[in-house]
Amino acid sequence: MSDFQELIKSFPKTREYIRDFFVYGFKTRQEFTEKSPRTYDNERRRLESWLAPYIQKDHVPNGTNISLAIDSSLLDTNPLFRVWKTKSFTDNDIMLHFLILGLLQDGQPRTAEEITDSLLSGYEALFDIQTVRRKCNAYSKEGLLTKQKSGKTVVFSLDSTLALWLSDNENAMDALAFYQMAGNFGIIGNEILELLGGSNQSFRVKHSFFVHTLEDEILLPLLEAMNQKQQVQLAIKSSKRHMENTACCIPLQIFVSSRSGRRFLCGYVERSKRFTCFRLDTIKRVALTGPYERYEELQAKLEKNRSRLWGVSFQGPERRHLDTLTMTLQVHEPSETYIVERLKREGRGGTVTRIAENTYQYQRESFDCNEMLPWVRTFTGRILSLECTSKLVEQRFYQDLQAMYRIYQLEGNETDGTFF
Amino acid sequence: MELFSEIYSCYYQVLRHLLCSQTALTIEEIRKEVCRDGFGESLLSIIPKLESGAWDLFEREGELYVSKIKQDFLTPLSSLEKSYLKALLSDPRIGLFLNEGQLKTLGQMLGSVTPLWQPGQFYYYDQFTDGDPYTDGTYRQIFRTLLAAQKRSLYVDIDYNSPAGNRVHHYYVPARLEYSVKNDKFRLLALKHAKDGQMRLEILNLARIQDAKLTERPLEAQVGLNALIKNSYYKEPLTLRIVNRRNALERAMLHFANYEKNTRKIDENTYECFIYYNQAMETELLIEVLSFGPMLTVVGNERFLRSLKARLQKQMGLL
Repeated sequence: MSDFQELIKSFPKTREYIRDFFVYGFKTRQEFTEKSPRTYDNERRRLESWLAPYIQKDHVPNGTNISLAIDSSLLDTNPLFRVWKTKSFTDNDIMLHFLILGLLQDGQPRTAEEITDSLLSGYEALFDIQTVRRKCNAYSKEGLLTKQKSGKTVVFSLDSTLALWLSDNENAMDALAFYQMAGNFGIIGNEILELLGGSNQSFRVKHSFFVHTLEDEILLPLLEAMNQKQQVQLAIKSSKRHMENTACCIPLQIFVSSRSGRRFLCGYVERSKRFTCFRLDTIKRVALTGPYERYEELQAKLEKNRSRLWGVSFQGPERRHLDTLTMTLQVHEPSETYIVERLKREGRGGTVTRIAENTYQYQRESFDCNEMLPWVRTFTGRILSLECTSKLVEQRFYQDLQAMYRIYQLEGNETDGTFF
Repeated sequence: MELFSEIYSCYYQVLRHLLCSQTALTIEEIRKEVCRDGFGESLLSIIPKLESGAWDLFEREGELYVSKIKQDFLTPLSSLEKSYLKALLSDPRIGLFLNEGQLKTLGQMLGSVTPLWQPGQFYYYDQFTDGDPYTDGTYRQIFRTLLAAQKRSLYVDIDYNSPAGNRVHHYYVPARLEYSVKNDKFRLLALKHAKDGQMRLEILNLARIQDAKLTERPLEAQVGLNALIKNSYYKEPLTLRIVNRRNALERAMLHFANYEKNTRKIDENTYECFIYYNQAMETELLIEVLSFGPMLTVVGNERFLRSLKARLQKQMGLL
């Protein structure tokens, strides 16, 4: 492995590996069949190098399992942010980065020619003017330098006011420490914080799902398209069948699950005339394909539809338009009224009615009541009845319950949901 | 605007630290710094580049490396970073940190910048609806008092309304402020003197704190928060058996990703997952496991299994 490099050129391939290691940390060399063993070895070595403090190794009969041992309640930052800091570069890139930015720290604007001359006289670094100009233009595009035209002359300068204000402001640094853990694009907050010499020693995040930072490169162009009201073409790889296909849609909103951290693009697909959600971790590439005229109209339509959405599905198993789920619960009053609070807090706008002493009814319409079942099951032990206009959903609930009774060898009468 | 760019590279960061060093460095000191700030194998790439002069950023004075860059070197923020900051200004929680004047100043500095996102572009469809009152003046004041105490390890006199309805009054040292995305709430992980003289970890809901007064009394000895949390985990983890049907494996792995866990393959289609947890997490974990229905099977520990069976037994009696 003499050609091993710790840094990488492109992110997408590595994103797949990291996600696999994170989700299926238990795969061994033999089990990775998609790529060559050599590729596996290199990727594994990189991963071990980047994430060394979090790697756990277990020896098993057919090899070594490596996995990421990450307990989010014990960490001050997301260890997977390190993966974003692995982009390779040339010797010239790093030299010019420090020398140009070092030279321009005084805030004085300079032409590319003046910068080139100063690099030689001040730092004994010889670069041709084209290389320096290219780097200055690239940094002006990235926002690190300001490019101004004065007559025929183009000058570059550097403004550190914002960075200075942030680093001198304890409250702002606290905010960055928090948002790098708890907000969208935490990686950017983390980079600013580290740039200014800060770190998080004050905040933790419960229910933090670190792996989803890997999708931020996909989220970025999607937000750009949404800001510009543009249509997009998505390259999608199914997580089940591993087939790649394309989809075109008008991106409208990012749906986020706070319980699993999963994020979805909710878009309108003109071909099927439907709203559809695409999991961000299945989207491999995004291309902006032009403005969409009736963007606001679609946004309003989605807003109207959202009240009938439970999660991310706009259609139930029986392809019906709308179903109603009714759940009756036993709640001992007053000691268990926290259950009623849970129904209101977690029930996403469903109605909660006290129908008798110690008995409450929860009801909600939804495009796909099947999505409600995981939440419904969290009330196991209190459910007096469950009815749904989609009989498939109702059956599934009772069948699953029977399956659980069997798994845990509980004695009792068989119920199939048709008794009430 | 690129998220994956060399300007955010770990190597640039390591070099920046070295170049801003107050003193000339020996190669040994450089090695130590690279080991501390770099990746596991960064040493193998960075040191040869410095020794060979390929990265000619240091003057050599005998055995010493002297930075060519001034110590007060500051990397300016990129457009992406400014755009990110601008988006934060619309977040309701920003007022917990910045006062009106600071918000105005930052807003002015970012005047022409387009925010990376607008709040309405994200929709948290399963977030609880009774989030904390981030714009409430008293709540903000309490938050700032607790944060100030946490940073200086000072005791705070806290007046608290417990969920059971009791009014509690105690001295605590804030250890961390913990945010839950699901609950959209802050909780205070607080240290309190137990009767046996040891420090004990308690969790308080921030919105239930009625008053918090900062004292000048510091915490006498350092307390390892993570050790306290880890020690609170049950010795026997929750053991789940997962048969990989209906994508259950991936769903479970992602769903329980926020717990310390370990997974191993039992046979072609069956996996065993160990989840470490404590008493405070128990109920939440139980209902999370229940939400998967028969896709997961709890095989241990006994305590968890008993709770699960009790719920199912009770359910059998109801239907």
